[in-house]
Amino acid sequence: MTREHRERLFGIWTRLQKKANEQLHVRLESVVVLIGLVLIMAGLSPYFWSVSNFMNILLATSTIGVLAIAATFVLSSGGLDLSIGSIVGLSGVVGASVAVNLGMSTPVAVLATIGSGALAGLINGWIITRGFVPAFIVTLGMLGVARGLALVISDGRVIYGLPDWMLFLGQGRPYGIPMPVLILVSVAFIMHIVLAYTRYGRHTLAIGDNENAARTAGINVGLHRLSLYVLSGGLAGLAGLLFATRINSGDPTAGITYELTAITAAIIGGTNLFGGRGSILGTMIGALIMGVLQNGLNLLAVQSYYQQMAIGGVLVLAVFIDQFQHRQEEARV
Amino acid sequence: MFKKSKYRAAGVMVLMSVMFTLPTRADEYGILMKTLANPYWGAMADGVKAGAESAGVDYYIQAVESDQAAESQLNVCNTMLERRPVAMITAAINSTNLLPCLKSATERGIKVVDLDVNLDPAILASAGIEITFSIGSDNVLAGAQGAQYLVSRLGSDATGPVLVIEGLSGNVTGEKRAAGFVNKLAELAPGLEVVASLPGDWDRGKAANITNDIMMRNPDLVGIFAANDGMALGAVESVFAAGKGGEVIIIGVDGNSDAIKSINRGRLTASVAQLPYLVGRKAIEKVKTAVTFGSAEGKFVVPTLVLTKDLIDTGTEPLLEFVK
Repeated sequence: MTREHRERLFGIWTRLQKKANEQLHVRLESVVVLIGLVLIMAGLSPYFWSVSNFMNILLATSTIGVLAIAATFVLSSGGLDLSIGSIVGLSGVVGASVAVNLGMSTPVAVLATIGSGALAGLINGWIITRGFVPAFIVTLGMLGVARGLALVISDGRVIYGLPDWMLFLGQGRPYGIPMPVLILVSVAFIMHIVLAYTRYGRHTLAIGDNENAARTAGINVGLHRLSLYVLSGGLAGLAGLLFATRINSGDPTAGITYELTAITAAIIGGTNLFGGRGSILGTMIGALIMGVLQNGLNLLAVQSYYQQMAIGGVLVLAVFIDQFQHRQEEARV
Repeated sequence: MFKKSKYRAAGVMVLMSVMFTLPTRADEYGILMKTLANPYWGAMADGVKAGAESAGVDYYIQAVESDQAAESQLNVCNTMLERRPVAMITAAINSTNLLPCLKSATERGIKVVDLDVNLDPAILASAGIEITFSIGSDNVLAGAQGAQYLVSRLGSDATGPVLVIEGLSGNVTGEKRAAGFVNKLAELAPGLEVVASLPGDWDRGKAANITNDIMMRNPDLVGIFAANDGMALGAVESVFAAGKGGEVIIIGVDGNSDAIKSINRGRLTASVAQLPYLVGRKAIEKVKTAVTFGSAEGKFVVPTLVLTKDLIDTGTEPLLEFVK
């Protein structure tokens, strides 16, 4: 390949990158990696390339996907929410408790599930913004409190037997598409528009990029941060709802270590750990990369321990590529 | 321009047709365990492999990271169905987490086997899931055997506090063992009082902490029954660390290799050995019968035996061959 060819290809690549970044708000590298991974898995296993398997991947990614959306928002603003995994467990138990033990109707139970998550997020946000305790500490504390509360409410056992309408949210298949997938896709679509195209989203990224500048520009940083934690908690509550309805029980041990997986998905998708950059579409691609990896390795009957190693490796690789490019861009300027 | 779109359309059609067709393969058995970290499940996997080799069947085994990864196991189960096995043999983490997957399997005509009796027949019936058979030890009997052993050591008119460490909350296996123990103990030696029955979540560390706390409350503790060996070994460490090594009789369930080492060294007193190797092997053999001849009976019980240092040293018990 001559030098001219190389330069022209590089030019095309950079232009595609820019287009992807500006118009779709996603990193081209992530898309390429996802497509490459899909093709590799399809080549390795004949069971991979089928509609039902793809539905499986989306279904398996649904809980983590919703959590990763929450993580994207919080990380983009320079914050951190370690409690979302525990909130999944707490909200699931609350919802199941309301539906089964208190016998309330499905809408009330669904509201209770998401509401309990939002409430936990509100407490998080309040202590972080008014108490000036670092987000790491507050959400770490909430991780323990929420988990413990879930075990207290459920007395350590699963609450089984949700009402049919509620079960439909996790196990229904309208037109053959699992409900959790529909919920994930719609939430992702809405949240992508919010983060990329609304003022709320722009403020979120601004606060993450340079908090002082954002404050000077007139953004009410404290209130905005508070709202972000409420949003994060509420989305975690939604994830808890999806989880509980998938296994038809409120499980107090649901979501253990999920917060780390969600953050991993967000970072693989291009969200900056320290804030200022993030996109929901990118996060979804990050979550799908992990989902495809796990599904493909499962189909090949590779032990789950290797899967964990693989995901850890992908995470570091993703951030390395990201940092490498940034240094290149800065060098060129 | 026209040519390009013609090729593009053709390419899309090829892709779609591949996506909607299913690959054909030889009959495979899918086996889903909990976690291979526990030697009990490792031994069962060995039994499965031995059974599969002697029966001449293809199989694939999957497991998840921990005893508590309920959603993970459900996702793995769904993925395993993609390989269209002829039978799915599952050891569910709790009685409800695999229900959507097993329902799907029943609808596709895949035979479902309940490995180690983790599923609740009432829940299965209401969910419309048909299992071909369940195989495992009788956990209530295992608990009762533990009680019998304790009473044989202490005497039926003994008095004193006893600690029961349960399994993961809500898990049927743990509940049965604990209930079996408690009921038999009350029947045989009413003087022995169960002062606490707490969930150890199958975790060695948790069981160690529970034992410490209860020993502080009841320094005259005479016996500990833990619903599995991992937890019993945790209790052993706490008891020996408190210097009460020979004074407390500690009984576990499973009879896994760690437990046997501990019994030989005189630390763990006894373990009600399940025979996971035998369970695994028999499961495959029975499934082959079911697949070939279309049916098998409802529930198979594999015996359990109480392992003690004496029994191991004597070495004449025939079932010892299956203790791995």
